[in-house]
Amino acid sequence: MAIRVQLDRLLVARRMSPSELADRVGLSASNLSILKTGEARAIRFTTLDALCRELDCQPGDLFGYESGSAEVLADDPGEDELE
Amino acid sequence: MRALGPGSVSSLLKLVLDVIAFALWASLALLLVAAFVALLLPVDLDLWRRIMEDTGVRMAMQARGPVFTVGLLALAAYVGVVLYIVHRLQRIFQTLTIGDPFRPRNVFRLRAIGFSLAGLEVINYGARMVSGWAFRDQVEDVRFNLNLTAWFAVLVVFVLAEVFREGARLRQEADLTI
Repeated sequence: MAIRVQLDRLLVARRMSPSELADRVGLSASNLSILKTGEARAIRFTTLDALCRELDCQPGDLFGYESGSAEVLADDPGEDELE
Repeated sequence: MRALGPGSVSSLLKLVLDVIAFALWASLALLLVAAFVALLLPVDLDLWRRIMEDTGVRMAMQARGPVFTVGLLALAAYVGVVLYIVHRLQRIFQTLTIGDPFRPRNVFRLRAIGFSLAGLEVINYGARMVSGWAFRDQVEDVRFNLNLTAWFAVLVVFVLAEVFREGARLRQEADLTI
């Protein structure tokens, strides 16, 4: 996906750890990681609202768009082992 | 009573499937042993004929031990395919019991069930044709009957597989919505 979530830069600027941000926003560490690594397919407005509140930023500060990035569509059988 | 999750209708049906699977394994083992014995030992077909008449089976069998063995092996193959279907259903109901039906793997399991149901019909037709040829002097006319209900069920199962595929896709979207 061409949309990039720029959480790392903001975490450094606010001197906050990812786990601390996850606690404040009400996300699990794994969900925050999914957001940071760009694996997320969508974000709720309630989550966006909480992130902007805790990081004291605008929604536009959180995202960037890199044109020309290839979008990889996952369509694998999933986590279950083959039987 | 809930349909999904622990202690639901799904868990009860899974228990029923476990019992059916056990019975099918036992039947398969008996059929294979009987086929092996039929091949090695002389068969008292008069006794078999009396047993079949007493149980209401109309067909009369000729003294053909190897054909009898092939018949038992065909029946064992039929039971084997049914066992495979039940095993796939057990796996599907396992996911229903934990309340998580829309797993991508269930799509493949449903398709496997669809193909297996079609395979059962093919085995059925093949067995009818072979028995009609092997026992043509004794057996009544073996007619080719298209079982529309069975083939309709095959199509329904494939459609269900696509429904589950869409469900798995929506579930993945929901999981990756933060």
